[in-house]
Amino acid sequence: MSLLQEVWQAVKAIGTGMATVHKRVYEDAPTEFYPYVKPDLPPVSVQSLALVENEDGSERCIVCLQCERACPAQVITIERHRNPEGKGFLIDRFDIDLVNCMYCAACVEACPVSSIVTIQDFEMSTYDLQTLKADIDFLHEQARRARQWYSPKFGVELRTEDGRIEKAPPEMQPGGLAELLKPAEEVDS
Amino acid sequence: MSTMSLEPVRGRTDEMIVNMGPQHPATHGVLRVVLGLEGERITRAVPHIGYLHRNHEKIEEARSYPQVIAYTDRMDYVSGTQNELPFVLAVEDMLGIEVPDRAKKIRTMFFELYRLASHLVWMGTAMLDLGAISPFLYTFWDREIILGIVEKTAGARMLPNYYTFGGVRRDVHPDFFKDTADFLDHMERRMVDYEHLVLESPVVHARTIGVGVLSKERAIARGVSGPVLRASGVAYDVRKAFPYDAYPDVEFEIPTSPDGDTYARFWVRFQEMYQSIRILRQLVELTPKTGPHKGKAPARIKPPAGERYRAVENSRGELGVLVVSDGTDKPYRVKHRGAAFSNLQIVPDLFVGAKFSDSIAILSSLDPVFGEIDR
Ligand code: SF4
Ligand code: SF4
Repeated sequence: MSLLQEVWQAVKAIGTGMATVHKRVYEDAPTEFYPYVKPDLPPVSVQSLALVENEDGSERCIVCLQCERACPAQVITIERHRNPEGKGFLIDRFDIDLVNCMYCAACVEACPVSSIVTIQDFEMSTYDLQTLKADIDFLHEQARRARQWYSPKFGVELRTEDGRIEKAPPEMQPGGLAELLKPAEEVDS
Repeated sequence: MSTMSLEPVRGRTDEMIVNMGPQHPATHGVLRVVLGLEGERITRAVPHIGYLHRNHEKIEEARSYPQVIAYTDRMDYVSGTQNELPFVLAVEDMLGIEVPDRAKKIRTMFFELYRLASHLVWMGTAMLDLGAISPFLYTFWDREIILGIVEKTAGARMLPNYYTFGGVRRDVHPDFFKDTADFLDHMERRMVDYEHLVLESPVVHARTIGVGVLSKERAIARGVSGPVLRASGVAYDVRKAFPYDAYPDVEFEIPTSPDGDTYARFWVRFQEMYQSIRILRQLVELTPKTGPHKGKAPARIKPPAGERYRAVENSRGELGVLVVSDGTDKPYRVKHRGAAFSNLQIVPDLFVGAKFSDSIAILSSLDPVFGEIDR
């Protein structure tokens, strides 16, 4: 290749590169200016976990230990005792080690009453990792602060201004409402 | 040559021993290569791996079958759901679980979306290694859109834990097909730009053509797979050789190149992206908009005693898994056949004789991902 050709090649390459860069300058980037603009996350997005209480403040969780069994990272620790009056169990301890949790949402998938849910609060940065070893109060507080959450059984639920819990309208529901109305087909082996 | 480290040869003063990595930005993670250099030429190369070892296979023996799926994600973290598929397929085979047609197609769509995402990451980082910064920014821009589509349905961007025995965990978002079609339109426009910036760039030509030539025989002997193998002229693709999921229903070609050099590996990955777009276009049309997304699966997964090997063609090559069951709810053994791990075996072959700066280009053309290599 002669020198002239090489120079021409180089000029052409720089020209094409510049033209491409120029084209992109005027396009909207898909990223946000994060601390100033909060990303609009889809409601199924798994960012953190919370333990939802009923509207009257009673516990939704029936302490069935399904989530503890399902957790691949084995970070859920539940202790329970029989309810002295009435049926069922009461919680002694409900800890999730959010440091080692891998946000796979297997626990949410397993919960029969949609007590443990995924929320979109991703701002969990802290100077002390111990603060992310969540106990039951921490998880309740997460749920109280959340405006919406998701669980496969109930779909997306919203917390209204006056603290009530409502099912989100169908257009907010992910993955087709049909799935929610019809429980997953499963046969016992 | 010792396999563990490079000892200086007595009496040779012209050879310099240099440690590349594990913190080198161009080693795509934590690869460490000990190089013997004679001026600019590499005379000896010994790769060291294991800096990201997390004991995957042993952990998976102690987890029940559904729990293992969440762990397989963490291997090749660039290509998300692709890692889950071999394990899911193997267990489905053992249990004889029927997967509905629609679920298969959804799985394949996610599989190909992640192939595009993974190749975009490869393109960006490979160009970064060659010294170009803007392609990196553009490819991550496009990947961002793919991850957004995935997040809307699966709830996570990189490690979605989405496939399950008998189908997928939840139905796709109502916008999924429209989003995907829009993205494909966008991607087709972008591919023109990438061709200009990468494949047609004289700088890329100068750095890659004739560099790191891998012959067909050597490629087969070393057990490489995926784009690296196809760039050496072997038309082997698990999607065609052992079709799985919805691949029998779609038309696509296996791009191969006879050259075997770094440029051929770049070119093959480019052509694969076109094929992915083609597959996705067909699947957007073919997949029913409603229907079952999950077949009947037992509540407790307990495969009968036995073993099963299944492989898929992920972005880097043949990703296989051997599952050995002893009839309990935990696998007796899970052995992963990593595509990037096998492809890394040719590093000493290709490095020796190359110039030092070419070794970076060669390494990036192999597209290693250390989550999967070190497991
Ligand atoms: S999200 Fe996954 S790892 Fe985290 S607590 Fe739930 S099941 Fe365990
Ligand atoms: S699965 Fe749900 S109801 Fe059962 S213990 Fe866990 S949070 Fe409570």
